[in-house]
Amino acid sequence: MVLTKNDQAKYPFLLDAAEEVKRLDLRIESLENPELKPIIDRAQDRIEEALRNNPPEVSYRPHEEGTEIPSFPVAVMLAAASANSYIKRRYALAEAIRAYGLLRAEDGEKIMEIAGLFKWRIRPLRQKVGDRYYDFALFFGDFLRNAGSFREKEWKLVNKPMLEGEVCLTHGEASRLLQEEIRRHIESKLDMDVRSMLSDSMLERIENLKREFARQIGRVGFEGFPERVVDVAYPPCVTHLYDAAKAGLHLSHVGRFTLTSFLLHIGMKPAQVVDLFRSSADFNERMTRYQVEHIAGDRGSRTKYKPPTCETLKTHGLCPGPDQLCRRIRHPLSYYSRKTRMLKREVPAS
Amino acid sequence: MDTQAFIRERFAEFYEEKAEDIEAPHSIEKREFGFLTFRESVMIRHKGFTKLGDLVSFVRQVTPAHAYYSTAYYEMPEEKMEEKGWLGADLYFDIDADHIPTNCRKIHDTWACKNKDCGFEGRGIAPETCPMCSGKSFEERTWPCEVCLESAKLETVKLVDILTEEFGFSLTEVNLSFSGHRGYHVHVRNEAIRQLNSVARKEIVDYVTGVGLDPAFHGLEGSGTSRPRIVAGPRLNDAGWGGRIARGTREFFSAATSEDLQSLGLRRRAVDEILGNKDLILRSWEKSGPWGIVGGLGADGWKAIVQRSVESQSVKIDTVVTTDIHRLIRLPGSLHGKTGLLKVSFSPADAEEFDPLKNAVAFEKGEAAVYVDQAPEFRLGEERFGPFKKQKVQLPLAAALFLLCKGAAEVVD
Repeated sequence: MVLTKNDQAKYPFLLDAAEEVKRLDLRIESLENPELKPIIDRAQDRIEEALRNNPPEVSYRPHEEGTEIPSFPVAVMLAAASANSYIKRRYALAEAIRAYGLLRAEDGEKIMEIAGLFKWRIRPLRQKVGDRYYDFALFFGDFLRNAGSFREKEWKLVNKPMLEGEVCLTHGEASRLLQEEIRRHIESKLDMDVRSMLSDSMLERIENLKREFARQIGRVGFEGFPERVVDVAYPPCVTHLYDAAKAGLHLSHVGRFTLTSFLLHIGMKPAQVVDLFRSSADFNERMTRYQVEHIAGDRGSRTKYKPPTCETLKTHGLCPGPDQLCRRIRHPLSYYSRKTRMLKREVPAS
Repeated sequence: MDTQAFIRERFAEFYEEKAEDIEAPHSIEKREFGFLTFRESVMIRHKGFTKLGDLVSFVRQVTPAHAYYSTAYYEMPEEKMEEKGWLGADLYFDIDADHIPTNCRKIHDTWACKNKDCGFEGRGIAPETCPMCSGKSFEERTWPCEVCLESAKLETVKLVDILTEEFGFSLTEVNLSFSGHRGYHVHVRNEAIRQLNSVARKEIVDYVTGVGLDPAFHGLEGSGTSRPRIVAGPRLNDAGWGGRIARGTREFFSAATSEDLQSLGLRRRAVDEILGNKDLILRSWEKSGPWGIVGGLGADGWKAIVQRSVESQSVKIDTVVTTDIHRLIRLPGSLHGKTGLLKVSFSPADAEEFDPLKNAVAFEKGEAAVYVDQAPEFRLGEERFGPFKKQKVQLPLAAALFLLCKGAAEVVD
């Protein structure tokens, strides 16, 4: 595929970023090089837009190929140099959303070309299946690689028309999946260590950004859990497992893992978790302790395991049915964090 | 003689003669192997072999009660888990009679309270608490009976249909095997899906089991809010679940009895309409189906029928096996330590004729005398045995080993 200048400005991530950066030679003191300044300014601007706009989206500036194309790889370097996972994730998403908007307006052929660059096995369909008209048929593996983490019901494979290994897609759906592919593609570029390649003034730019958006950057992930474990804030699935464990009933492997990793995450001590399983008839102290400490990250791979998502719990039959709050979250830990905050508001501290 | 030692000796003799029949998994050098021995019930894990010959010698050397290999491919299979270097994994499904509620389980499955002072026994699936002592732990004994195995095979065939028709795998990429105990394994080997992570595999599980399915995305269309009705639905040949729902619904209507319909909570009038117009309903599928044309059947009734058809069309699998990308799976051609039967693989084309209780029999010669505590009637090969209760019997070796491995009998000298 030959990319026109216009295409390159719209979809700069399709170019070889390393090549582009080499061409610019960023170690040249940027402020002294008037040719480079607008490019670096625009690069910084791309990241600022990602942080400022909600939902995050980098703008598209037509007819400015001269800065639009080279500013992208520079922005990638800046984002990577931030070494901050929030900035990286948000920037990748903002560029992907920008691309999505542009893809929506493209014809089917262009979609196919870009999908082809990501090695998708896609073909035009242009026919009705059931009552809907579809534009493309995509290999289900390519579909799952991207839609697997979407939470909306309509993106579940089980709700898609599928035949002979292909999922039928509309133009809009294909663009949305490409957005995810692009987001993952850009995010994967942000993990390299580039700080040594950048000049001091470049590094200063990113530090300034971090300062400016410090409040936003700090407010991520699961918010702090209260110091004491609040058992009335457990989500229904955990309450269910917890009661069963206390009663000495048999729990499946996934069930035990879910309960243990959840309790450890909200601050229960491994020894307390071990005690919980004591009423089980086949309780083996040494074995249980080993498993609990493994999940806590005190042993083996040293990874602190997180409980599975709501989706996964549903798949394994461990979701006893959602309550009101469940409908607004997708992870048992988010439930706990929200519920504890709600409870705090209800009952003023004495 | 010690029963364990007796079983182990027979296994050793078998492997001496037949270990070469063990099927080498594809890319054997990238697989991890695991073995459970008779002596200590500890898993020998993280073993690697570069060729079948080495695997065969190892099996002969240790005589495992159970032998497994990884569905995953690793750069260095012998390293610790986090250092193995995961390269991908085949797609695996496990269909076990334990996940299928059959009526005969009430007859052949037993449980006993583990409380030493109680020991109360019952049949079927163990209760949550013991009716005698309120104990919560049970010793359960399940049997690989013909009916259970047949229902597991039906599920397996259903799964093969989904994998070939909807997922587009060719029959040569799909391999089936009898686990050697109560179920079947479905193994899909295809380069293009090897890299799928467990999130993506979870979506495949949900597809196969119908979890998260919303019929509205498959053409089930309602109208009205005060008295909601169904006005349209999927057709028989629609792609994916649409067609499945239509075919399941057609089957349901053609076989439904008055009790079936009432159990779904349908009103008297709807039940009469359906039973009185079976031909008309059947013919309606030639056009747009019976959706919305059955008198007295409201949106709730339709949804219950669709739900029932989804249940009949979905496959009951052990969800954990498919989503686990580091799973160990029993090695084809090896013996199952709980039955003395073989894990045998076969092609989907032979599914119909496959008889697990014949094709998986490993021990063809010899006899043994055993004391049977309790066993329901069972078949192996063409012969039927039992039921036995607290008696000494002389049996063909395969049947004797079967009871010994199940823990239902002991060796007598």
